Amino acid sequence: MIQLFHVTKYYDGCLALSDISLRIEKGECVLLTGPSGAGKTTLLKLIFGAEHPDEGQILVQNRNIARLGGSDVPYHRRTMGYVLQDFKLLPQRTVSENVALPLIIRGLSSFESRRKVLEALRAVGMDHKLSSIASVLSAGEQQRVCIARAIVNSPIILLADEPTGNLDPQLTTEIAALFKAINTRGTTVMMATHNRQVVEQLNGRILRLDCGHLVSDQGVYT
Amino acid sequence: MKRLWYFIREAYTSLRTHRTSTLIGVITTAFTLTSFGIFLLLYHNVHNLLGQVQHTIQIIVYPKNDIESGKLHDLQQGLKTDPAVDSLTFISKQDALTEFKEQFPEEVYLLEGLGESPFPASLILTMAAKSPTTDMIGNLVNRLQHHPDIDRVRYNRDWIERLTLIIAYMEFGALLVGSILALASVTIIAITVQLAFHTRQQEIEILRLIGATSLFISIPYLIEGAILGAAGGGMALGFLRGGFELFTQNTQGLNVFGGFSSALEFFPLPLSLILIAGGILLGCLGTVTTIYGSLRFRL
Repeated sequence: MIQLFHVTKYYDGCLALSDISLRIEKGECVLLTGPSGAGKTTLLKLIFGAEHPDEGQILVQNRNIARLGGSDVPYHRRTMGYVLQDFKLLPQRTVSENVALPLIIRGLSSFESRRKVLEALRAVGMDHKLSSIASVLSAGEQQRVCIARAIVNSPIILLADEPTGNLDPQLTTEIAALFKAINTRGTTVMMATHNRQVVEQLNGRILRLDCGHLVSDQGVYT
Repeated sequence: MKRLWYFIREAYTSLRTHRTSTLIGVITTAFTLTSFGIFLLLYHNVHNLLGQVQHTIQIIVYPKNDIESGKLHDLQQGLKTDPAVDSLTFISKQDALTEFKEQFPEEVYLLEGLGESPFPASLILTMAAKSPTTDMIGNLVNRLQHHPDIDRVRYNRDWIERLTLIIAYMEFGALLVGSILALASVTIIAITVQLAFHTRQQEIEILRLIGATSLFISIPYLIEGAILGAAGGGMALGFLRGGFELFTQNTQGLNVFGGFSSALEFFPLPLSLILIAGGILLGCLGTVTTIYGSLRFRL
């Protein structure tokens, strides 16, 4: 599903990731842990196609991300969902409009779009807030809408960068449960988190990064 | 369909959100297109007027005195099919004599005893209104002068050249003024769209996050630019029409332009539509300039 071969990344000469090699299988739940600045976000960005590696190769579904042209990146992104800590919702749009956005981009029909939006919102328990404006939702609700938007296209891979960073423990438990449920349905989940509670709850494969180095992995691919 | 609706709604939302900058963009576009339109209107009318004046220009061709009737007929047919020629009138030697007698009845005694008409036969050519350029007329005259059956050709070369030169200057002026104003308009629209673009950076970031292509992100802005340009063009057309009506009403009867003001005409429909299309084009150009610079990737 995802393979990294000796990936190294620098930002303005500073090392962000060093010689990372790993393999993630379909349906795995991978938790990226480590202190701030360890390279967790960089690793997710590289897989997402938001950054290019300075050295090494990245294969996602047998496609070499390191060689993707600028015009190919959007199509690569459509195969995966991305959930961020700061939600990134359109505040003046309704919940359904926000969730429908990836489907509009793909050019789905209105009927199909409505069906998928409802399905995604039901999966995160937000189908009763279909017409609510995003900005009036609570933080937990906004994150649920973000997850719905990320899974509405039925992605094979779901990336999440500190999705519970802005949430209280109760909401964190709920959101972690959602990711667990999504993973159980067969979606590969890769989440960067500091939160021990989330790590324990998801009970996935733990990759620990420190200063750009992969310091521990239950199954390092060589 | 859902995509199209999305694009239109996004463009409309942006225009509504940035009312002030939208209004400034429309007004400045209207102003620049009005300035250009005034020049275009002037050019259009002068061109029309010169066409009419040139239509009255005549080239007089004198065939050789001993030309056979068959060759004269061929010569006439050849001239009639020339694109620069609008009409051809043949004046025979006898017609010329009759004309002289009618115009100068007191001088008729001068011709007594000459027997045959002393006046040469001639062909009078009037020029087609839409094609009298110096080149076309010059070429025609040159061909006629070297024609074996033609004795001589008479026409007012200076007058034709001067008229053509005026048209050429006006065309150059229109191009120059138009280019400068178009550049100004593109800049203004680019700034307006850029404003909308910067205030929606977060939205663009979200769109990129969920796999929107640059083209998908750009389309609402292109629509926005096109609407700005079209509104500016429409407003300019309104200003021009109003100004034109006011001008013709105030100058009618005063004979300040030697009666020419009554012959003035506003843009025909195709030209009016071209002005609006020009506005749309400027709007889109302004948007493309902004987007190309801001997205930093190809459309």
